Amino acid sequence: MSDDLIENSGEFEASDADETQSSEETEPRFVFTPPIDIFESEEGLVLHADLPGVSSETLDLQVQDNKLTLFGRVNPPVPDNAELRYQEYEVGDFLRSFILSDEVDHERITASLQNGVLKVTLPRAPRTAARRIEVSPE
Amino acid sequence: MPVFRLHHNLGSLRDLEQEVDRLLRNVQLTVHGVRARRKFPAINVYEVDNEYLLTAELPGTQLSDLELTVANGMLTLRGKRADLDHVSESSFRRSERFHGGWERSVPLPERVIEDKLAATFANGVLKIRLPKAVQSPARKIQINADQENPDATESRIDSGSDVSSEVIRPNE
Repeated sequence: MSDDLIENSGEFEASDADETQSSEETEPRFVFTPPIDIFESEEGLVLHADLPGVSSETLDLQVQDNKLTLFGRVNPPVPDNAELRYQEYEVGDFLRSFILSDEVDHERITASLQNGVLKVTLPRAPRTAARRIEVSPE
Repeated sequence: MPVFRLHHNLGSLRDLEQEVDRLLRNVQLTVHGVRARRKFPAINVYEVDNEYLLTAELPGTQLSDLELTVANGMLTLRGKRADLDHVSESSFRRSERFHGGWERSVPLPERVIEDKLAATFANGVLKIRLPKAVQSPARKIQINADQENPDATESRIDSGSDVSSEVIRPNE
């Protein structure tokens, strides 16, 4: 595992997850860690995350300083008066964050969301060419 | 200086406990909550007014790769997710998502109109509406008295016991 993308631990969840709960809604919401794939491609690192039920309007993808945070809000898939009869999964929001290294060009990060899968491309920062330093004789 | 302080046995045990507690507190249990290792797709079944509603999470499935069939009271969902075929194993840094084909069959409750199933797929969530069949009114069944037992005339069986509260039970 290289250091280009490190999963961020803890702190964010503590602060921001509380915020989302206290705003307007009193009902507690589940917050899940979505499963992800990370692989290298020609463009750089590519991250895929499963966010079923998240639309582009309810997805919040942020890069702040060196932290990439994804937060996907999921609206209830059924009307309010629906009664649950059988359950294999809970419905909730998705949250995960990562620390990006300087190897990633933060300015050129692109993302798309299709069929509940978020795809983020994290291009490598161009390496600065070696510069020869002339040593002038005294 | 004793290595094992026998007479302080319980004390050291408590120390160990505290030490383990301390270690665990520092471990980030990130695996907890990762929805990776479970049945794919997971489904929920709701009851809304006069229909059942089955929802399934299928992130990454193309509509064209999704197939729904219903036969003999069995609803079958079939699909695949193969969007990372071109990526070689060695380029993966992390792989937590489900890959490949899947199939699940769910037995339908009896009182569902199979012809009227309707499905929508948006944002990786499949919703199937299963309209309930209108329940026929209770019909009384006349029991004819046996010749040898004339006292038993006019006893009736009420067939209208409530069966509308059946629950769909997907097979494991």
